[in-house]
Amino acid sequence: MTEVTLNSSVQVRCGASNAFLVTASLIEPLITEFEMQGVYISASRGALELINTLNEIGVATENVHFIDCVSSALLGGTESTFPNISFIDSPIMLESILLRTLYHLNTIPADSKFVILDSVNALAIYNEDRMLAEYLHTLINTFRARDVLSVIMNVPDQTPPGVLANLDLYCTDLIDRGQVVIS
Amino acid sequence: MGASDGIELLGKPRGPGSDTMLGTPQYKRDRCVTGVHGLDEILRGGIPYGSTLLVGGTCGSGKTTLAMEFVVNGAAMGEATAYFAATEPSVKLLENVRQFSFFDMDMVDKGLLNVFDMDVTYSWLGLSKATFTMDDVNALVKAITDIVNTIGVTRLVIDSVTTLCYKIPNDQLIRDFLFTLGKTLATQGCTTMLIAEITSVGMSHGGGRSLWSSFGVEEAILDGIMVLGDIDRRGHLLRYLQVIKMRGTDHSRAKYAVELTPDGVMLTPMLKWGVDV
Repeated sequence: MTEVTLNSSVQVRCGASNAFLVTASLIEPLITEFEMQGVYISASRGALELINTLNEIGVATENVHFIDCVSSALLGGTESTFPNISFIDSPIMLESILLRTLYHLNTIPADSKFVILDSVNALAIYNEDRMLAEYLHTLINTFRARDVLSVIMNVPDQTPPGVLANLDLYCTDLIDRGQVVIS
Repeated sequence: MGASDGIELLGKPRGPGSDTMLGTPQYKRDRCVTGVHGLDEILRGGIPYGSTLLVGGTCGSGKTTLAMEFVVNGAAMGEATAYFAATEPSVKLLENVRQFSFFDMDMVDKGLLNVFDMDVTYSWLGLSKATFTMDDVNALVKAITDIVNTIGVTRLVIDSVTTLCYKIPNDQLIRDFLFTLGKTLATQGCTTMLIAEITSVGMSHGGGRSLWSSFGVEEAILDGIMVLGDIDRRGHLLRYLQVIKMRGTDHSRAKYAVELTPDGVMLTPMLKWGVDV
């Protein structure tokens, strides 16, 4: 990523096997190169695991607030020593995810802010297609109106076609990082 | 008269106080800005000054937080406010709201936020009995309005009016109490939230009776009704707020999702495909 427009929404397509690498390669320049701060909505994996893995490869996560939509379902999964994680009961509480994100964005002092949604295909496991399409429409427009860069991750072959078509329509940019085939 | 004449006519105001569908400017009552994230947009600017509204809701739906934020935001703007606590002691109430960033104990110390225990008010008036008479009700209305007058209160909350009305033996007396209270407070320019505890929200099945209030008599008398409830979305309770009625303002009647954050209540439109999941 070499350029960032704050009120844009970027759809990032990746494969099932390279999702983490794509995540790391996106978040790292946003924090270090563009000196941005933001919110990471984690619906694919627990935030604690994600932070530890990012820290292991040298990506600083102090200036990112993580909204963990996974760990509350695992009893005991919400015990964390990191102050920059908050937990949502379930990925079905889509409005709560949006409002929590807005709240944390308000507390961030930086002028340039981002929101990363990881990922549409994970939310699609729990939410009906029409509701998810409506949610993405609301989410993208909410952040565009607030000059916040939104990055929407998805694995296309695990995302309902109707949702994917809507995403193509709403997002301003598309980055296709494809699938890494390990033979 | 041609079509263009008709459009032009609609665009003209009909005089002070008139509302037109398309016309500008429209008469607008001054608003009491709640300061609650999203609520003033829903109310198109805030609650019309001097209104008395019912804030009905199920347990845990956020009534007390919303009402406390309403008075505290007024106090933060230098208004004198009052909160009558009937469901929990004032000490406990203040302890619970300290977690929110909008609350500042200085407001209590400076007399901008005045919290009263309803039980103490009853004792002070000699009303420590199970059932009130008409005279008792009148004494209570006078005591509340005297406090409002003395302090110059512009925002008032009674939490809850349900526990108070349980002491009033019949619907007619409840109606009289609420009507007199609302009328007196309105003349003093006080915007009032009456909290009501309800067990379910919406329209009853078959009977056609609305379930926005505890006794069913409050709805017609008061200026506004706002309800807070829960939607069960596949086993998860999602809080929502809906403004059913608000005299003196055009307002949204849609359901809004509620999130209680450290900054207080936050609202966003509820997903249309997510209401009846």
